[in-house]
Amino acid sequence: MSLSKLNQIILRKNALQTFRICTSNWEIKRNFSSTDTKRAKVSQYQKPDWNRAVSEAEKIVGYPTSFLSLRWLLSDEIANVALHLRKLVGSNHPLLKTAKTLLYNGKNNMQAWGLIVLLVSKAAGHSPDLPDLEQDKAAGVLHSQRALAEVTEMIRTSHLVHKGLVNLQNEEPKEDTGDMMFGNKIALLIGDYLLGNCCAELGVLRNQELVSLMSSAVRDLAEAEFVGPRDNQNNPLPARPQPSIEYKPLNDVGLEPLLVSDALGNAQAEWTLRHVLSAGSLLGKSCQGTLKLAGHSYEVQEQGYLFGKHLALAWQACLDREPFSPGSMEPFSLVCAPVMFHLQHDPSLYVEIEKGQNDVQDVDYEKIRRSVLQGPGLDLTQKLQKEHSHAALDVLNQLPPSDARTALANIIAAIRDI
Amino acid sequence: MACLGSTRLCVRVQEKLCQLGQSPQVRRKTFSCDRFKFGFLPPSRTIPERKNLNQNVSQSTVSNTNSSISWHPCSRPEIAATARSFSTLRTYQPGSLPDYKVDPYQLLEDDLKDVYLDIRKQLRINTHQEELYEIATYYFDGQGKSLRPMVGILMGRAMNYHMYKDRSAILPSQKEVAMIAEMIHSASLIHDDVIDQSDFRRGKPSANVLWSHKKVTMAGDFILAIASMMIAKLRNDDVTLVLSQVVTDLVQGEFMQLGSKETENERFAHYLTKTYRKTASLIANTLKAVAMLAGADDDKLPELAFQYGRNVGLAFQLVDDLLDFVSSSAAMGKPTAADLKLGLATAPVLFACEKYPELNPMIMRRFQEKGDVEKAFELVHKSQGLEQTQFLARQHCQEAIRIANLLGESPYQKALIVVADLVLNRMK
Repeated sequence: MSLSKLNQIILRKNALQTFRICTSNWEIKRNFSSTDTKRAKVSQYQKPDWNRAVSEAEKIVGYPTSFLSLRWLLSDEIANVALHLRKLVGSNHPLLKTAKTLLYNGKNNMQAWGLIVLLVSKAAGHSPDLPDLEQDKAAGVLHSQRALAEVTEMIRTSHLVHKGLVNLQNEEPKEDTGDMMFGNKIALLIGDYLLGNCCAELGVLRNQELVSLMSSAVRDLAEAEFVGPRDNQNNPLPARPQPSIEYKPLNDVGLEPLLVSDALGNAQAEWTLRHVLSAGSLLGKSCQGTLKLAGHSYEVQEQGYLFGKHLALAWQACLDREPFSPGSMEPFSLVCAPVMFHLQHDPSLYVEIEKGQNDVQDVDYEKIRRSVLQGPGLDLTQKLQKEHSHAALDVLNQLPPSDARTALANIIAAIRDI
Repeated sequence: MACLGSTRLCVRVQEKLCQLGQSPQVRRKTFSCDRFKFGFLPPSRTIPERKNLNQNVSQSTVSNTNSSISWHPCSRPEIAATARSFSTLRTYQPGSLPDYKVDPYQLLEDDLKDVYLDIRKQLRINTHQEELYEIATYYFDGQGKSLRPMVGILMGRAMNYHMYKDRSAILPSQKEVAMIAEMIHSASLIHDDVIDQSDFRRGKPSANVLWSHKKVTMAGDFILAIASMMIAKLRNDDVTLVLSQVVTDLVQGEFMQLGSKETENERFAHYLTKTYRKTASLIANTLKAVAMLAGADDDKLPELAFQYGRNVGLAFQLVDDLLDFVSSSAAMGKPTAADLKLGLATAPVLFACEKYPELNPMIMRRFQEKGDVEKAFELVHKSQGLEQTQFLARQHCQEAIRIANLLGESPYQKALIVVADLVLNRMK
């Protein structure tokens, strides 16, 4: 064996180890939760807490559904990626940050998306005439539903990774452009790899309606990146507030693309449209899809869509509020609900927003934060969040009581409380 | 050719009439088209018409060759010339239709002219956002070689003819697969542009120069999503599986391109696998899907179609890699020696390094040192690398032709043979 090959193998091993160390925390938790499946009890009386809600919910469906499982770590492509990611350490390509958030088991934890799909699957049950072979008896979900949960996570991750590309076009050549280009290349390939795997996994399920549904979710995610004005790095800016536009609730069940122009300029309509495209559609269609796999009627599937959509929107509203909690200095997005509501209330602030046309960093965030804190934006956001939480709970309450249903209710409660 | 039954000959002539556009005798054209659709022609009635029909063919062929040059960039003057000379031949010797020189683009003119339009329509109904639509349709301007839809439709018709004889009309689902193939191809082109930071493609600025990289990436995802929705609409589980394999292959091929192998043997195998995944898989699996949709009972015909596509695809890429060394940028519509500049060692380099081992270290460092690209370029030209690449491509084309000859004789089957020839002898 030649020296460089040996070297390569050592490198690859190292890369895998770094990956493993990052995930080990999470692996321990997984082992713990799978052995405890039987004894899992859902706490209903304690104060809702995000981490507890999620970890208890994980026990109900057997084990967490992360695609970051061992088979992924051992696949050739991922090992290759890990190797290349090492080259990026030291550069400040956003891909590293994305990778970290994927592994970080915090509040915005990614795994929760697949988890919700599985909980919905279990809470709704499936038709009794499905063969035993296709069921995961212990967890009460179908193997196909587990695969779908995985696809949901892969699509979301792929989108986040592609979103994290750096736009190098308008930049004059700098020292780190090479690194950035390489980072872009890897990010693009990882995203494509995940999408390719989604195609393959969905194909195996042999359900063409499901393929349509999930493909349309991918389409919506891509569309989300084109809504409204953008700066040079494609960061979103709110559209100019238009006081006259009536709020039209979206009619978004089905495969049709959403009309964008109608919503721009109305805080609630624009916010809803942006986040239905970027999040609600994927979670909604995944929940709809899992009910389809279980053989439920179209009406029930539609309810599944609404549940997923409202849950994702409630979640987003809650995340939007966070940077405005007392004493927080966290950065926020210019299209978050509090800012958009405030703009509607006081359009004169749009002058400040317009400073960010080329680069959102040119906007005086502290000035906006101060204005928002004095205006009605936060209250309106909380109201918005409540509406969506309630809408999700309404759907949930149509299902028969079960552990999975309680777990979903707990997650909604935890969102409300963050 | 003499052994061809007169019925078959007439059918073929009439089919051609259907294919060729503005025939001066419109009424007769529609008449024969209708009859062709019913698929049954009593020989006694058609034989007297033969001479007349043939004259029609020759007239319209002549009038069409000129227009075909302008409508398709891939058609070359020499082909048009042969078509013209053969068309005169046809008038005098109606018995020996020289259809082995048939121009596939001309044969499929009607089928192909809508492909880009239909793709744009599909993209249109799937977004209300102008900028996304504009980026997504940037490469669907009809300026490409449209090799994939062309071979797809050709194989569809050849298969249909092989299985059902004269009812060789293309199925809507087969046409959709041809569109899907072009869409997957374009999605991968758009992503390649971002990866390689190329400036030009098909003689115009590439998408990543005109729009932000993030948006271009998203537009690629969008095209893939729409293609995937179209695949699902075919409601055929096996076809979905075959076509989703293409997407996986494309990405894996892209990953393979990132790494290089140590020894020469390994390197060549690596190169061939990469070439299959990046180029041939799309063509091979498209043709397989088309054959499956024709309604084959077993795997035999889809497998034939697959192997034909694989060989044509490999030859196509080999010739592409070859042209990167010999063609001018003007003809290619993109800069030459681009592969070397990207650090990629393609077949000509790999062959050349048998004679000039000093290429080895350059391959390993991906031609990144100053002067590497120029030196490698020169060594490739000094070696037999280009001839050897051509030879390998020819072998694949011959295999493709051998496979095409296993199908029932029809203008489309003949055109499949011509395609293999076109792929080998193309200049751009």
